[in-house]
Amino acid sequence: MTECHYLLKAKRNRLNKLINKSGLNSLNLYLFDEQTPGPTNVPAFFKSECPPDGKVKLDDLFQFKRKRGDFLFSLIILFVALFFLISFFTETGWQSRKLPNEFGTYILHQFGLAEVDGKLVRFGRILKQSWVGPLLCLMVLIPAAIWNVRTSFQVHRYRKRFLLPTGIRYELEKYVAAIEYVAYFILYTVLVPTLGYLISTLFLGIFLTWRLGYRSGRWILIGLSSSLVIVFVFRSFLQIKTPINIWLYDLLPSAVRGFMLTYF
Amino acid sequence: MEAFLLGLQNLMEPSVLFAIVIGSIGGLAIGAIPGIGPAIAIAILLPATIFLDDLVSLVLLLGVYGSSMYGGAIPAILINTPGTPVNALTTYDGYAMTRRGEASRALSLAYSASFFGGCFSIIAALVALFAFGPYLRDLGALFGQRDILMAAVLGSVLLIAAHRQTMGIAALLFGFGFLIAMVGRQTTRKIDRFTFDIEYLFPGLNLIVVIIGIFALSQALILLTGKDSDPPEARVGGGALLGFVELSKHKIVTVFSAFYGTLMGIIPGVGEFVAQFFSYSTARALSKNPTRFGHGSPEGLIASETANNAVPAAAMIPLLALGVPGEALTAMMMVVFFDAGIKPGPDIFENNSDFLFSLFIALLLINVLVLSTLLLSTRFIAKMIYIPNRFLGSLVMILSFVGVFSIRNSLTDCIFAVIFGYVGFILRRLDWPLVPLVLGLVLGSIILERMTAGASQVKSLVDLVNRPVSAVLAISVLLILCFVIWSMIKNRRSYKN
Repeated sequence: MTECHYLLKAKRNRLNKLINKSGLNSLNLYLFDEQTPGPTNVPAFFKSECPPDGKVKLDDLFQFKRKRGDFLFSLIILFVALFFLISFFTETGWQSRKLPNEFGTYILHQFGLAEVDGKLVRFGRILKQSWVGPLLCLMVLIPAAIWNVRTSFQVHRYRKRFLLPTGIRYELEKYVAAIEYVAYFILYTVLVPTLGYLISTLFLGIFLTWRLGYRSGRWILIGLSSSLVIVFVFRSFLQIKTPINIWLYDLLPSAVRGFMLTYF
Repeated sequence: MEAFLLGLQNLMEPSVLFAIVIGSIGGLAIGAIPGIGPAIAIAILLPATIFLDDLVSLVLLLGVYGSSMYGGAIPAILINTPGTPVNALTTYDGYAMTRRGEASRALSLAYSASFFGGCFSIIAALVALFAFGPYLRDLGALFGQRDILMAAVLGSVLLIAAHRQTMGIAALLFGFGFLIAMVGRQTTRKIDRFTFDIEYLFPGLNLIVVIIGIFALSQALILLTGKDSDPPEARVGGGALLGFVELSKHKIVTVFSAFYGTLMGIIPGVGEFVAQFFSYSTARALSKNPTRFGHGSPEGLIASETANNAVPAAAMIPLLALGVPGEALTAMMMVVFFDAGIKPGPDIFENNSDFLFSLFIALLLINVLVLSTLLLSTRFIAKMIYIPNRFLGSLVMILSFVGVFSIRNSLTDCIFAVIFGYVGFILRRLDWPLVPLVLGLVLGSIILERMTAGASQVKSLVDLVNRPVSAVLAISVLLILCFVIWSMIKNRRSYKN
């Protein structure tokens, strides 16, 4: 009895050591699956695993698991789709539509389900009207958006029932984190016409390298030279016209000025 | 033969040859870096193609497209991380071989299988052009506006049906792509659609702005907000040519995998994943050692690499023959065609047959060049795996800006691109597929354009499908819809049971 008890204790200790060594605890074991981005879109984090029996199913290649935040985003998308549905009546030329009299009977006639008296309007005349395209599009969009919300809600309910995490704070934090980089991009866009493409790009290249934590001299130099190469390739090799910093170039000696104007 | 020689002559231009070299080596490097796929590279390069010759542009993009999957096999085999999503199956057997200490063998097998797959589909396309060229010229008469409209509808249905587990999301995003195509002033009646009196939206949203936002900027945000991966050290030895010797021992697997790749590439919306699945499953069924699959089987590796590399050349066929792109990369190439004033479609066989030969010969050259580069410099290319992801994200962001800005020097374009980038970022975070959005945009434009152009010949609804080709295509659409509904009911029943 004592020996058995001792063995069990040793086994438990070994397991605890393993868990501590791998840096996992009960909380992040639980959330581990949630926090890693999915396989298909972010290959950088994807570790592949063949099914143990080696039999690959087509579904294995399209594995998809709805994440937390999916339900909220699906709802937002549905509202956007409904907004476009409402806008359809004012933003597509629907008000100036030209439809035959008794349109319902006319459509039934197209499927051979009704007879129409008198001269028939060509179906092509309806197809040419500006609201037909948006209508076709909304015929796909609205049912798909509703269907998607329904499926997403089912998964959400399933998660709740089995006490799986449903909070979206982690996802929202990621969305907010991305806004920082969106702001840098917009700032860069605003700076380019003022500072010129070369200076702005060098500035952004170095700043982002520093901001991302690569702060050694070597990395800053890599960031600087990569930005310089990008400017050179697009300005000189692909001959793309971008704003230049003319007041800075004017301060340079004439030979250097000419070189800078041509290549940077 | 005359068109073939003319096509060959077109490629002898130094600028075209230079584009082949840059595209191939660039694509190889991009494929080898996990996190940066060919879609991002092509999206960033698209605006630059406006300033280049038509053939130079297309050859450059084809270089990236055709060579990225070769590069993608390197991290898949060495560190179990596919360089491009289509190399996922390669990891099953490739990485298992690396763990057994056979990394060089796996790499050489992957190179030789990829080379065979690529060349097989190109040669098949060239033979078809030679054999059926005179008849293909008459194809133009068979395909009217309504037939191409139906082909675009078929492409859309196939695209949605191919997203097996995410069909609802694929339809939703396809609808949104279609909606974006609608935005702007209708040219014939001067009626604004979904512009909300915003002046920027009157000419419609620029396709390249949307593509760069959705593919490149979104991935930049993903990389910037993510963590750097820490891939294990991997050593690569010599003996890269031995793969061809081993490949010759698995003739049947190699040939049918290449055949599957070619066939699936031709069908719009299906692509590399399904081709790989069929070839991998068939290889397993035919193998004498099926239990080795997933544990370092050379046949498994051959099946997946041959099939995925056979797709690019084949995927050009629906694009060139019908003007209907089957996947995101060929959809992006449509932009170059539009820009060059070449309308892909049946008429291309009549008017630009030398151009067709140029493209396929260029693809052949790309495969030869990529193989030679890999044989000489795998060790160097393998080092690209270790470039930190977040640093790459900053470079993609800088490149995206110049890509968008160069279209028409508009800062508003950049703002719209970053909005699409942010939406793409959320979609990527949720694992929603991005391809239906872009294909909805491209196929939606085609559907709208062909519907308006063919409307004058449509007296009643039946006239849309009363031509031989359009009737066959419409029946195919109905059959696919029936199959999808049937499989949904079947799945539901099995789930309930």
